[in-house]
Amino acid sequence: MNPILQTEDLAMTYHVGKVDVPALRGVNLAVAPGEFVAVMGPSGCGKSTLLHILGGLLKPTSGRVVVDGEDLAAVSDAARTDIRRRKIGFVFQRFNLFPTLTAEGNLRLAEHIHGNGKRQENDETRREILKLLRLENKMRHKPLELSGGEQQRVAIARAVINHPAILLADEPTGNLDSENSAIVLRMLAQLNRELGQTIVMITHNPEAAAVTKRTIEMRDGMILKG
Amino acid sequence: MDSLIISNICQRPTRTLVSVAGVALGVVLVVINTGLVRGMLNERMMREQNIGAEIMFSRKGAGSPLSPSSVLSLDVRYVDRLAKILGVKAVSPVGRYVQTGSSGIGIEQVDGIDFQSYTAISGLRIVEGRVFQADDEVIIDEKKAHDSKAGIGSEIQVFGKRLKVVGIYAPVSGSRIKISLESLQRLLSSPNKCQFIYVKCNDPENQVEVLKRINTQLPGNIVVLTRDLVLGFGNSIPGLDGFVKAVLALSTVVSTLVILLAMYTTITERTREIGILKALGASKRYIVGVIEKEALAISLIGVAVGLLIAWVAGWGIERATSLQLEYHWTWVVVATLIGLAAGVIGALYPALRAANQDPVKALAYE
Repeated sequence: MNPILQTEDLAMTYHVGKVDVPALRGVNLAVAPGEFVAVMGPSGCGKSTLLHILGGLLKPTSGRVVVDGEDLAAVSDAARTDIRRRKIGFVFQRFNLFPTLTAEGNLRLAEHIHGNGKRQENDETRREILKLLRLENKMRHKPLELSGGEQQRVAIARAVINHPAILLADEPTGNLDSENSAIVLRMLAQLNRELGQTIVMITHNPEAAAVTKRTIEMRDGMILKG
Repeated sequence: MDSLIISNICQRPTRTLVSVAGVALGVVLVVINTGLVRGMLNERMMREQNIGAEIMFSRKGAGSPLSPSSVLSLDVRYVDRLAKILGVKAVSPVGRYVQTGSSGIGIEQVDGIDFQSYTAISGLRIVEGRVFQADDEVIIDEKKAHDSKAGIGSEIQVFGKRLKVVGIYAPVSGSRIKISLESLQRLLSSPNKCQFIYVKCNDPENQVEVLKRINTQLPGNIVVLTRDLVLGFGNSIPGLDGFVKAVLALSTVVSTLVILLAMYTTITERTREIGILKALGASKRYIVGVIEKEALAISLIGVAVGLLIAWVAGWGIERATSLQLEYHWTWVVVATLIGLAAGVIGALYPALRAANQDPVKALAYE
């Protein structure tokens, strides 16, 4: 099966003043459709940079990043944004919900952006996702009225509501207690299993990595294992 | 997106209020000032037209009957010379004194008239009391009596003196306060002088021919048709056009700056949210649209509030002072467009700045 996500000799160097700081040094990675992959490694190993490049938020210095057949490294900033809109969902450590909008409003905004400014709502999908994430009764609440676990579940719902090719999760349990972490991880696994959602998750937490099917270990901007 | 815009507007009520006030201020400036200019001009023109003369005769430098001048430079002997010209039915010399409005705002004009000849032209009649007979006696029109709550026997301030109201006249024509021309000549130490002479023609249809005859027989004077005074009145007030343009420019600048500062603060505050929008795949155009729509919504509220304030303020000004306001839809549209344009232009720089933010840095913003 062709990988849904593939990188070839991916390199990224930051320029800090006159100093070049290499963050990624030739990362080769392939993720098959429906895989749930964890990326682990110490701070500064390049995990976040890798995730940002996989999501099209950063342009690599060199190499290729192919998401569902489209090379993110070879296109303009606007085209990368467009690919992100159509094919990528993000979940962040800090939830990053719009605080002024209800959970429902956050989901509708994601659908609106996905539809490129047009209404694009699929009630059946929405019901399925909300049921899976146990959020049916939380839709009228604003983020500050929800617990951390609930906020992260809303963020996951927002990330998958438009059926992205890949879901990129950046330390999704980093701000949660162990109970809520377990719930969120269980739900990510369930999304992967029941909806076939491809997930790449960055984590420091070995327990989080344990729920995935594959763990990639990174160090000094390179993949050591996986 | 609409709910994001509405929720953003509601999130910071003080900021929204300040932005709305900024736009409203611009709208009020435009509507009130143009309303005042238009109201005062039209009201004065209406009163001048009510005099009933077709031609106005004056010396160079005496100013038009609508301009704020108190110089009596025209010899009243011109009255007899004008009366002899073919086609002239009646003539009436008028002196005009300009003083500060009774409310302390604006100006007020006092006409010195020859009662007999003036009534022959204008049809003015005393509806209450009698005509002036002494230097300290005046007659006023019904509106002045109503607005100043002045009746027969009450006193009004003219030339810094208390003059007694002895009569109320109708219809309104020329200035609202009238004294005898002789009294005005004495008060201004200008014996046998007036400011201009009104000329009524036997046949109004022939006013142009009569004007030509006057110009031929009495060259070197200013002879104008009163209907042209109406058309050219706006131009007769020095700096009026510049004043209106300055008000428009000031309103645009104030409203634009307020929106610019408000939206700039907003996008700085919402840096992380802009990062989230970018992470969700929002294009630059989408982000510019969100911010522009928010600014436009604020501007719309500002325009509505500004128009409401202008309407209430206009009502208050007319009641509290002798100033007249006349709103015209053209200026309401201009004020609305200025308010909305200020929103769009003011928000453009913050919107472009937001749209060009680095998504990774924006997401990391604390």
